[in-house]
Amino acid sequence: MTTRLKELEPIVGPIAIDQLRRMGDRLGRQRLVHINSTRVGGGVAELLSQIMPLWNELGIDARWEVIEGDQGFFEVTKAMHNALQGFKVNITKAMLNHYLEVNRLNAGRFQFDADFLVVNDPQPAYLIQHMRSRARRWIWRCHIDASKPDRKVWRFLREAVRQYDASIFSMPNFAQNLAHPQYLVYPSIDPLSEKNRELSQEEISGVMNRLGIERDKPIILQVSRFDSFKDPLGVIEAFHMVRAHTPCKLILAGGEATDDPEGPRILAEVQEAARDDPDIKILLLHPESHYEINALQRAADIIVQKSVREGFGLTVTEAMWKGKPVIGGAAGGIVLQLEDFHTGFLVHSAEGCALRIRYLLHHPEVGHRMGRLAKEFVRSHFLMTRNVRDYLSLMILCDNPGSRSIEL
Amino acid sequence: MVSPDQPAPNPFWFSECIVMPMPTGKAAVNLRDLLQTLREVNESTLSYHLWQSRMSIAHPEVEYPNDFASWAANALQDSRLAEKLSVIDPFGFENMEQIREALVDLLEEYLWDLPSVPWARPGFQFYFCDVSTIVLRSQIVARTLPEFCSGLMKVGQNSIYYHLMDARWRLRSLKTDDFSHWIKESFDLPELISAIQGIDIWFYTLDEIRNTILEFVNQYIEKPDDNAPERT
Repeated sequence: MTTRLKELEPIVGPIAIDQLRRMGDRLGRQRLVHINSTRVGGGVAELLSQIMPLWNELGIDARWEVIEGDQGFFEVTKAMHNALQGFKVNITKAMLNHYLEVNRLNAGRFQFDADFLVVNDPQPAYLIQHMRSRARRWIWRCHIDASKPDRKVWRFLREAVRQYDASIFSMPNFAQNLAHPQYLVYPSIDPLSEKNRELSQEEISGVMNRLGIERDKPIILQVSRFDSFKDPLGVIEAFHMVRAHTPCKLILAGGEATDDPEGPRILAEVQEAARDDPDIKILLLHPESHYEINALQRAADIIVQKSVREGFGLTVTEAMWKGKPVIGGAAGGIVLQLEDFHTGFLVHSAEGCALRIRYLLHHPEVGHRMGRLAKEFVRSHFLMTRNVRDYLSLMILCDNPGSRSIEL
Repeated sequence: MVSPDQPAPNPFWFSECIVMPMPTGKAAVNLRDLLQTLREVNESTLSYHLWQSRMSIAHPEVEYPNDFASWAANALQDSRLAEKLSVIDPFGFENMEQIREALVDLLEEYLWDLPSVPWARPGFQFYFCDVSTIVLRSQIVARTLPEFCSGLMKVGQNSIYYHLMDARWRLRSLKTDDFSHWIKESFDLPELISAIQGIDIWFYTLDEIRNTILEFVNQYIEKPDDNAPERT
């Protein structure tokens, strides 16, 4: 039978898979429970769907539980999410009480006992108040850019988080002032998923034909939601500067930012800026259009992610995995992933973006070299096997509190 | 030269090393912040930024040997400071406090002469991380030099890191590393040991180090005599 680990072995190498198996053997049949707020949609659900089959192959008794709540509860948690990202929100005492009540009701519903309980993001954070004894180790996994959280909301959440044994953040600047150990676990991508698997030339051409994109000029692509943090208008500005010198076309592909109050205005401005320009294509895609995104990234010559604010920037990771030269805004995790002239280019302005696009259009061999380096960089650091290895390491470390160096 | 069949008295077990960064929440936005925080952080935070971070994020090209020098070059865009910080070789010190003193001294001196404090460009703050490590024994073992080469080709980068880079700190009083130590205990090859100990690890990627060691070791394994008559 082909297992997921067997499928990953040719991609990450037998040593990496063997290491996971040995760590799994070492831990034995630990009961690991992940809790989040949804089974579908969003990065957390995507990650959990990817790693769950691996746990069982590694001999870990893993389960995935989802917290249940009504519309009011998810309105509060959405507001909390935005507050942790630094937006000003209005969360009343009554809203917080409702949030606490939903956590209490869920705690009563859950029937499991666990060795390790990984609680994802703020939604289920307060479960610990009611079921601390049901898990040996509690780990809070924060996927949110909490570098500048709203003080009041963080103070409320911190009361729960401080009771955990450890927490995990995606970037060093997201970490907080907490007494327990905080770990850094970078996000990862699944190389076997629809968004990242290898595609044949026929598959790529099929998607491009279906989307009505002719491949007659070099393609510059940005995949992102149409919100101000991803600066799609800046990308169009850069594109105009490039096209004054060299023929090329721009594709802006992504979904609407339904939860961003600025979203509709930004999209309207982007559509206006692109109107009557046959070389700019705006693609409003369904959030589940993973296959189409994969094909677009593989068809592109240069991929741009000109964010002015970013969490980790997994779209950059995905583009790098496809061996493309990537130009990214110097923000969040993009800075970590792109190193000038090696794994990509970092830019600080529309002019900088245009400069690097022009350079790469005229030096395709540099772009190819960057793409190769970028792909190997992702292979070493940002594939899901590394994420699983980090969780296994964390379980070992949590069971040896106070020890910073463990020999097994 | 050593016969390919000559066994070592004790086998060499390759180990693996997992480095888990632990963000401290402390950051520096300018050179004065960096200096101030360097005075306070744990010793393990210093070792993380001096050599262990290479196991967390290893860029394909190594320009500067430690995080502080890279930050000076990329964030402050101060090549002169980056050059000065590059000279600090932690494995030449007896303990972490001496390294801290050397870093603090260098930065104090540098700031003293500057007309203003240099700031990091946006997005390039220095985030201090502490670290935890897990070392686990792999199933790859070598009893002869050819087995050692075959093991070295198979193991992950983290094994190379552990046995050469991390070992130079662990075994600093002996001025050696795990590979050299095993070869010394097993075979009479002082020149091979000098060659391995002479690798300037700071400017190689771990894969480059792997290939360099393989090249060295292969030179000391007896090859079948090319002039020997062919068997019929």
